[in-house]
Amino acid sequence: MNEEQLKEDQVLQALRALAENDGEREAPPEVEARLLGAFRARRRSGRSWAVIAAAAAALVIAALWWTNRAPQQAVSAVHPVSVVPEAAPPAPAAATITNVARAPRKLARKIAAARQPESREVVTDFFPLMNPAPSFGRGQLLRVQLPAAAMQTVGLPVREEHLGDLVQADVLVGEEGMPRAIRFVRFDVK
Amino acid sequence: MTSDEELLQSALHHDEAAFTALYRRRQGAVYRFALHMSGDAAVSEDVTQEVFMALLESGGRFDPARGPLLSFLYGIARNLLRRRMEKKRPEGADLLAQDLAADDDVLDDLTRRETIEAVRGAVLSLPEAYREVVVLCDLENASYEDAAAALQCPVGTVRSRLSRGRAMLTQKLAVKAVRSIS
Repeated sequence: MNEEQLKEDQVLQALRALAENDGEREAPPEVEARLLGAFRARRRSGRSWAVIAAAAAALVIAALWWTNRAPQQAVSAVHPVSVVPEAAPPAPAAATITNVARAPRKLARKIAAARQPESREVVTDFFPLMNPAPSFGRGQLLRVQLPAAAMQTVGLPVREEHLGDLVQADVLVGEEGMPRAIRFVRFDVK
Repeated sequence: MTSDEELLQSALHHDEAAFTALYRRRQGAVYRFALHMSGDAAVSEDVTQEVFMALLESGGRFDPARGPLLSFLYGIARNLLRRRMEKKRPEGADLLAQDLAADDDVLDDLTRRETIEAVRGAVLSLPEAYREVVVLCDLENASYEDAAAALQCPVGTVRSRLSRGRAMLTQKLAVKAVRSIS
């Protein structure tokens, strides 16, 4: 063993002595206490944020629910006594309903666009289901699924092979529960 | 025994018991590393606290593939110490510390206690790059790989710096005084 190596071994011994001497040294207990205080404060803060986030989510859900309800309410709030003339011919009854329902339809389209940014909802005009149409007081607009054959009953063309396919439709139901008019919905992919 | 990594995950999910267990397991090593690097107990206390606070805040960035959690903690401590030293250190302080250690010829008849303090002083007088490898590998018994992970450098660099650091210590310490320990 040369002198250099001997010296290095001695230095290593000295370092080991220092390591042994300091081996038990550690941070004082106050550090742990301060850290635990900070930890608890963070946890409380985290919970507060969770509550705020949950409240915000609930608000958004409530707003969406309210917006979804809006078209139905708009229709149910219609009092077409002054809008729908009693003496109107059978066909214009549907046309009048279409006019009344125009604003809700726009809203429905907006909602559909927000829900499905990749597709666009296209609706037909309303077709009357009662002829002659009785006076319309209040009603509800219901989204339903029907076989495409239902489109034929109002005079819309449907290919033979698609008659059994399901299509979406909005049915306007009077307050007495009778379906008054129907429109069909198509989703165009953008 | 639950691993450091599992304790960290639980602590990050607000498990106080896991955080306490992790702190108690690793605070000593972090504190000693800071102490041997700075030579200041108050600084070491602050750094230890800041390391674990940083762990709570950015523990999600820990990647076990890069090394063990202890190396990650050493890495945080090292950065914190560097920032403090940059603020604190007057110009030429490194040279002054080296000169003082080199002039320690009074080591001849030292007691064990005094020798330990002399070794501590000599370690503190090493340039930072050599001091950190000596502290990690020789005082905290970290493997070359773990030290490399903490210092974010290749293992070869750790080896060469350690060799050079020991050589510098040998020069700084009077061999007679070192013998008195054995």
